[in-house]
Amino acid sequence: MRRVALLVVALAAVYFSGSGYLLNLFVVTALFALPALGLSLLMGYTGQISLGHAAFVGLGAYGSAILCKSLGLNPWLALLAAVAATTAIAWVIGWLVFRLRGHHLAMATLAFGIIVHVATVEMKGLTGGQDGLSGIAPLSIFGFELGTDAAIFPFAWLACVAAILVAENLVRSPAGLTMRAVAENEAVAASVGIAPDALKRRIMAISGCYAGVGGAIYAHYLGYISPGPFDVGFSVRLLLMVALGGFAGIWNVLFGVLFVVVTSEVLKPFGRFDVVIYGVLLVIVMIYCPRGLLDGLQTAARALARRLSSAAGGRGS
Amino acid sequence: MTELAQYVASGLVVGAIYGLIAIGFTAVYNVTGIVNFAQGEFAMLGALGAIGLLAAGVPLPAAVILAALAIGLLGVLIEWLAIRPAGPDVLRGIIITIGVGVSLQGVAVLVWGTDAHPLPAFSGEKPIDLGGVTVPPQALWVVGTAAALMCGLYLFFTRTYLGKAFRACALNAFAASLMGIPTAAMRALSFFVSGLVGAIAGIIVAPIALMQYDSGIFLGIKGFVACIIGGFGNPIGAALGGLALGLLEALATGYLSSGYKNAIAFVVLLAFLFARPGGILGELEEVRR
Repeated sequence: MRRVALLVVALAAVYFSGSGYLLNLFVVTALFALPALGLSLLMGYTGQISLGHAAFVGLGAYGSAILCKSLGLNPWLALLAAVAATTAIAWVIGWLVFRLRGHHLAMATLAFGIIVHVATVEMKGLTGGQDGLSGIAPLSIFGFELGTDAAIFPFAWLACVAAILVAENLVRSPAGLTMRAVAENEAVAASVGIAPDALKRRIMAISGCYAGVGGAIYAHYLGYISPGPFDVGFSVRLLLMVALGGFAGIWNVLFGVLFVVVTSEVLKPFGRFDVVIYGVLLVIVMIYCPRGLLDGLQTAARALARRLSSAAGGRGS
Repeated sequence: MTELAQYVASGLVVGAIYGLIAIGFTAVYNVTGIVNFAQGEFAMLGALGAIGLLAAGVPLPAAVILAALAIGLLGVLIEWLAIRPAGPDVLRGIIITIGVGVSLQGVAVLVWGTDAHPLPAFSGEKPIDLGGVTVPPQALWVVGTAAALMCGLYLFFTRTYLGKAFRACALNAFAASLMGIPTAAMRALSFFVSGLVGAIAGIIVAPIALMQYDSGIFLGIKGFVACIIGGFGNPIGAALGGLALGLLEALATGYLSSGYKNAIAFVVLLAFLFARPGGILGELEEVRR
């Protein structure tokens, strides 16, 4: 609870700092944090890889935009319906893919991600193809439109903090323990009365729900979506965020998201260097900091401090 | 009838490429237990590398050989830098090879940009007429090279001392190491073979299909599907699986619609994963619970 309070204070400081740039950066962070948290629940806590998570974000975004534009639904209603649909689709995908594990699961989820991306490009009548959909109505509260950074900021972070609280509760609940049991050893988990497949499907649905919320808010906030941001590259970036956070650890994942958002800002002037950096970073983190970047840096700092103190002690004697 | 023969011919050409990439997957998987998600990037980099060398004034045969060897060595380097320190964990292995693949793609964008690049055909563009079926001369190069390479690899693995040591390592790395086989060297060799074969596949198909920075991922997935069809870890199955996938794709493209071409591979992938994950020829390791 203290962490949530600290987060709220930090967010308030950002909000009232008056810096439009900072505000935008944090809105982006919140929108990335939602799918990343979902992926962390699936990968970190339940031990199931997904290389197609960008697809759920895309489904949320396109679902909400299409419902809003073609059926003329109220943006809030469209958002809810799209998130519900994404959750249901995630459950069905889970029902399909969790017959597999390891490499096969990874490849099946990757294929799912590519199929959805190709579909958003090819189904021109519905999605507008490469040109995308524009003119998506913003969300509004009492006639006040949430179309700008300053307006969407409180709502995006409200959703994000709610997601954090739900995830924390879930992880601490008995269900959270069964998730970790499944991640550790499925056979053992099954032998003590856990149904691993049903659990995985449920976590996949929650994970898809998180991603769908992020995507739907993104669509109404920008007012324009195209297939580009929901490609395999985005799935890999989500993977990187979760890996930087050490997979399991709600707050560490939030740090991973912030780290990727900030580095992509820093790397912007260097053009397309960011992809190489992301790839190399993913490899380095996986090899040297399996518990996340923060933990890796802490360990390195402690080792360095020990070496320095022993060197100083050696000189003293 | 001619139509069917034409589809079969083009299917076999593409299938030979998928088969080669699938063999690359198999070589690495059998020795290290890792599915190299960067496998397709080897083909892409091989092709773009040959194109770059050609543009730098290197004659075509030398450019092809140099590019293929360079990618083989790149494979060894990747094994040494990224795969070996990671240990045997499957999830880590997957994520690391994905990281490697993304980096290679990023490097390709930096060096060659996002445009597609052509490689001139090895022996002219004049189509050859084979009893009513016309094929570009490059198609013969593809099929011939693939067949020669597959036979060469088969002889290497079954007739040479090094190949036998390699296979011993694939069957049981621990037992092989007790017999004095340097397993670390065999791991490096597996990545060299996989890089070399992948690069050659990319180079020989480049004159028919344009290559760009993101061509690798599709080639990689098709190669993986070929492995699934043939049974993962089975090199002969991988080659046959590649041919089968190429044929299926060509027939579906011809009789249904070209828009479905990529979808076919995924449908086959899903169908096999769910119905027969051990492939047609069976698998070395059980994948299903």
